[in-house]
Amino acid sequence: MTDSGLFSLIVSLPGLSCLSAPFMQHALLGLLLLAPMTAVMGVQVVNFRMAFFSDAISHSAFAGVAMGLILSLNPHGAMLLFGVLVGVGIMAVQRGSSLASDTVIGVFFSAVVAFGLAVVSRDRSVARDLQPFLYGDILTIDRPSILYLALLLTVIMIFQGLGYNRMLYIGLNPLLASTHRVRVAVYQYLFAGLLSLVVIFAVWAVGVLLVTALLIVPAATARNLARSAGGMFWWALTVSLSSSVAGLILSAQDWTRTATGATIVLVACGWFAISLMMAAWRGRAER
Amino acid sequence: MQTLPFVDPAVVFEGVSVNLAGVPILTQVNAQVPRGGCTAIVGPNGAGKTTLLLALLGQVGHEGMIRIPPGPDGRPPRLGYVPQRLALDRGLPMTVLEFMVMGSQRLPLWFGQRRRYQTQAVELLGMVRAEGLARRQVGALSGGEIQRVLLALALQQRPDLLILDEPAAGVDFHGEQIFCELLEGLRREHHFTQLIVSHDLATVTHHSTYVICLNRQVVAVGPPREVLTAETLTATFGLHMGLVASRALPETGPGCTASCCALKP
Repeated sequence: MTDSGLFSLIVSLPGLSCLSAPFMQHALLGLLLLAPMTAVMGVQVVNFRMAFFSDAISHSAFAGVAMGLILSLNPHGAMLLFGVLVGVGIMAVQRGSSLASDTVIGVFFSAVVAFGLAVVSRDRSVARDLQPFLYGDILTIDRPSILYLALLLTVIMIFQGLGYNRMLYIGLNPLLASTHRVRVAVYQYLFAGLLSLVVIFAVWAVGVLLVTALLIVPAATARNLARSAGGMFWWALTVSLSSSVAGLILSAQDWTRTATGATIVLVACGWFAISLMMAAWRGRAER
Repeated sequence: MQTLPFVDPAVVFEGVSVNLAGVPILTQVNAQVPRGGCTAIVGPNGAGKTTLLLALLGQVGHEGMIRIPPGPDGRPPRLGYVPQRLALDRGLPMTVLEFMVMGSQRLPLWFGQRRRYQTQAVELLGMVRAEGLARRQVGALSGGEIQRVLLALALQQRPDLLILDEPAAGVDFHGEQIFCELLEGLRREHHFTQLIVSHDLATVTHHSTYVICLNRQVVAVGPPREVLTAETLTATFGLHMGLVASRALPETGPGCTASCCALKP
């Protein structure tokens, strides 16, 4: 990577010298793999109104780590497993219950957070280990994690390639979709499971508090800017990728020295502000 | 009133009962929907019309049996559904053409629309006289326009049974006339069975060929001229309905009796 002429040119540009450090290159690679996933899954999170769902999954990270500590499992593996269980569990209860979906999610949310806190409160030393999950830690991403991210990206893109249109259908009206022979339950469960995986991976990058932003902000910006369902995907991708790269580089400058995850989300929110203005301007032009 | 058995019904409800949280919503519904024609399920608000529809679509657990027998060629019947003024997500950027292609094309819409599916979508929109809407945003359509686009989406299924939930809701009288005229023509051409759920008696008296009066149970079934009498309407709606005098109805022919349709051969 460092040997290519193009790369040395990039690194020589003002402000980009930070990318010569190997850990920055790993972080960049990790973000380039993560951003497309959060962008495309985020589009559906917004369509399905599942922002709160992703919040519940990200907060289950604590409980997942706690569970890992109790059963002495690898904390990352425990987080993933626990996240997927919570995600699929919420979907199952939601589908089978007459309660409003935010109520169901609220109950799961409270349960996982309470469980995490209960375990942490028993053992004070664990609290320190939980710090990285709060703020995210993309700068310490290792090679196996990058490999897993690449694998997950492949799975997600295959799923989206086969299901994007069907999921638009379900997002518009699930009853209409199922009457018209779309297999709603299959897509909902697969989506919940895969979204849980993406959310947990994103927790490592930007931390528990900002995961939902990574899903919602590019998709919301895309809604403001796109004129078609196809365009929405490309806008979300553009916003997500550019915010990730810009956020990483900005956070590494001497004059900022901010947390990477927070900086990424701030850049994305800047995009959103611009999109709001453009939507308002376009609305006036059309009137 | 007894249920008349049909030789070849399109839908059969046999002793259908639904209880939601212990409250009986439907009790022992026995009725048949004749093949072809337009059957209307009428009843006041809270009569269980929507519940019966959801049971038919497999969304609500029920006792008894609901059968949708296969047609003469023996293949499983296809359903088309036009929901009640779809609570559309108006913020979703999506063109009418994309809305149509979404139902037929597997290739994700971010790679655009294949010509084949685009042509089919425009044809379907033409069938509901909405070809001019193809480039418009779905979120910017009027109630009547959305209804026609939803009808086009249902026709994409090439339905044997087309189910419409409150088709008159949110559409003005003129728009409704056009819509019924459209449906009448499409039904003749494509030979589907039409099942509408409505609490609007004006629509039902003019456009249906068969009526099921529902108020938690079946009150009456039959052709509108026989069924929509003052007595059954009082029994169904629970108050005196003097507005519809069955004698004022035209003789029931094989098709729709609306003025808009009567002009057709």
